[in-house]
Amino acid sequence: MKMIITIIFRLTVSCLLAGLVMGTTFVLTNKAKKANEFAREERVVYSLLGFSKENPIPESMGMYEVFRYLVSENGQQTIGYLVPLGGHGEDGGFSFIRIDLDAAFVDKTDVALSHDKVREQGDRDAAVQAALGTDKTIRFVEQTVVVTDHGERTAYLLHGKFPGYKTNIAIMLALAPDYSVIGLEIMEHEEDPGLGAEIEQNYFKKQFMFKPFEKIKAIEVVKEPMPVEYVDALEGKIDEAAAADMMKQYKDNDIYALTGATISSDAVSSGIKAMTRKFAYRFDVLDQVIEEQHIGVPF
Amino acid sequence: MATEKTHGQLVADGILKENPIFKLALSMCPAVGISTTVMNGIMLGIAVLMVQVLSSVTISALKDFIHPRIRIPTYTLTIATWVTVIDLSLAAYFPAAYIKMGIFVKIIVAFAIITMRLEMFACKESVPASFWDGLGMGLGFLIGMVVLGAVRELLGSGALLGYDVLGFKPLLFFILPSAGFFVVGLMMGFFNWIEEFYKARKRG
Amino acid sequence: MNRITYTLLFFLVNLVGFAGVAQAADLVTGTEFGAANEIIVHFSKAVDKAEAADPGRYIVFEELDPDIRLEIESIAVADSGREAVLTFADPLNSHNTHIVNTIGIGGVEQASFSVSKPYLGYLASILIAALLINNFVFTKYLGLCVFFGTSKRKDTATGMGVVFTIVIVVAVSMAWVLYQYVLKPFHLDYLQIVVFIGLTSLTIQAVDTILRKVNPILFKSFGVFLVLVIANCIIIAVPLLMASNEYNYFETLMLSLGAGFGFLLALYLMSSVRERIDLARIPESFKGLPIAFVVAGQFAMAFLGFSGLQLF
Repeated sequence: MKMIITIIFRLTVSCLLAGLVMGTTFVLTNKAKKANEFAREERVVYSLLGFSKENPIPESMGMYEVFRYLVSENGQQTIGYLVPLGGHGEDGGFSFIRIDLDAAFVDKTDVALSHDKVREQGDRDAAVQAALGTDKTIRFVEQTVVVTDHGERTAYLLHGKFPGYKTNIAIMLALAPDYSVIGLEIMEHEEDPGLGAEIEQNYFKKQFMFKPFEKIKAIEVVKEPMPVEYVDALEGKIDEAAAADMMKQYKDNDIYALTGATISSDAVSSGIKAMTRKFAYRFDVLDQVIEEQHIGVPF
Repeated sequence: MATEKTHGQLVADGILKENPIFKLALSMCPAVGISTTVMNGIMLGIAVLMVQVLSSVTISALKDFIHPRIRIPTYTLTIATWVTVIDLSLAAYFPAAYIKMGIFVKIIVAFAIITMRLEMFACKESVPASFWDGLGMGLGFLIGMVVLGAVRELLGSGALLGYDVLGFKPLLFFILPSAGFFVVGLMMGFFNWIEEFYKARKRG
Repeated sequence: MNRITYTLLFFLVNLVGFAGVAQAADLVTGTEFGAANEIIVHFSKAVDKAEAADPGRYIVFEELDPDIRLEIESIAVADSGREAVLTFADPLNSHNTHIVNTIGIGGVEQASFSVSKPYLGYLASILIAALLINNFVFTKYLGLCVFFGTSKRKDTATGMGVVFTIVIVVAVSMAWVLYQYVLKPFHLDYLQIVVFIGLTSLTIQAVDTILRKVNPILFKSFGVFLVLVIANCIIIAVPLLMASNEYNYFETLMLSLGAGFGFLLALYLMSSVRERIDLARIPESFKGLPIAFVVAGQFAMAFLGFSGLQLF
């Protein structure tokens, strides 16, 4: 009997000790982890927009996040957008705009939220729920970043996730105000190295650059070899201006598939096609509502 | 019952005579799965080294407190705790390397080699001796992983630690996942052959 | 082994032949995805063909994007009036659930029903994935120590495989319960490793004790494998995978079954080869483990062929 008690006692002490060690480590490392994720996203965003350490972001540039929610009330669904208010560099608070499924304005509510808290999903959801009231259920869907320079829109940054050949592929897409593609980054994937993983390479990713919205809406994948001059331009083997010219020459062409990875190539193309079409439709609707209702957004 | 081996000998044994990968044929999962580059090998090797050393030291320090009837669960608990600590730290401070290693850091908890070491050595020996023994084992694993990684990276992508050494890619096959089996098998055969060779020389 | 796999597959395919179940009570009996851009609707009674063929009476969207209406190119109604095939302008993403709203068809003012890939098919695909496409030994390189140790002869191999499957199904089920009801609600995700490995030890201990009392003869032949299970990397990989994919209970069950059977399959294949290799002429330095590794490498290459397999 005594032995069992000793055993239990010592085991419990060991467990508690272990728990203490792990708990402390968790608390210490959690902050670093979050900072890392944020830094990584920042780096991707900057490279998508064409900035780097040598060419840093100018003061006049603004980046504003728009969060899209799905709001359900008595079986009816509406789309909600959390948008920032105010001018460049000001903290004018946030507004939650609701638009119904037929693209008609429903209502707008002011949301009490600070700029640093808006990135945390928990705080953000709580603030939006509080502003809307308990009779509605909200669900966060996605966020978009609107980039402005001197108050004029220069780019939209979208996140996307879609099934690839193996598991999901996560990408970040940069669109110009006219919805043509200005940048693409593959964030996560589990494709085969040497085959599907080549979607990370410039000679695939950069094919999407400068393609106008009309082309992206109907983009297909062709199984043909790429002209050597095009490959050189994509890989950066010729100087930048000439490369950009070459890429613009191909702007109305379909995407050349990767050798041995047609399905991965098609997955990325279809994913981008769907993302761009949905975003263009939604943002046009949002823009119209913002204009009609005179909502003071900084973009 | 203290061991008669010196600390240096403990370390050397871990690397050569009782090398976990090539001699004892334990903890082979990462050897096959992750050894595509030298960097991966180094990072996982360091992770295993730290878990091994920390666990050995902890068990050795607590050896009087642990009741013999529950020693296996206690070993498991200790190893699991240290693996969690290392896992969290790697994820926070070395995110790029951590993503490449995927699930293999968490899998360290199932390595038989660590539990065996604790059972055979740490629970009987003093703290310093356990430290050196753990270090030796960990170094053996680390060196094994680095050698494997070097062979695969050099022959597969012509590079070492990311630096282009050969200027061309000899055989892409070597960095494909399934090649891990082949490389480990061939290297084991090679080591055996060298051993046979030296034994024959000694006799003849 | 082949026959068993075939019968299992046959059984699953039959189960999976069912279409998705409709939600609206009376109007529709079933819906399914047809070709890449088709949705097929089965009505419970014959409906007016002109009504059913009118694209204006349908509103179709993906469940998560209710504001994006999908464009219907054409509708073909069967002569019996009980089936309508909706053809869309673009290929559908059949991985997502789609919602179809009908207005004024078959006398029903408004009806709404969902279209999705059969759930049983999805469950079966998880099983097949864990068994073949992502075989834990040959594709994920886990569980190798135990694998090479017990694959020398067919009887040890099958023994190990069976014991492992039993332990993993029980242990992962318990792990799922603990994960959903303890770890997640209290934000203790970092305790995953400790909890999962602890549960596995407990399961092994329990199976050990039960087997000893209930069937000592069975224990004599299989008991020795129990200890080896905890040194198997797969046993910790499966719960971790379950947690990161947020599977529900049935999906977890399929995953653990697939992992267990995949291990059994790998062991069986390997032991068949190794038994024959033992009788072949192999260079001294390659005998034993080195040649086993090379064989495993060839199996791994063969299993690469399952990559991208999509039955359901």
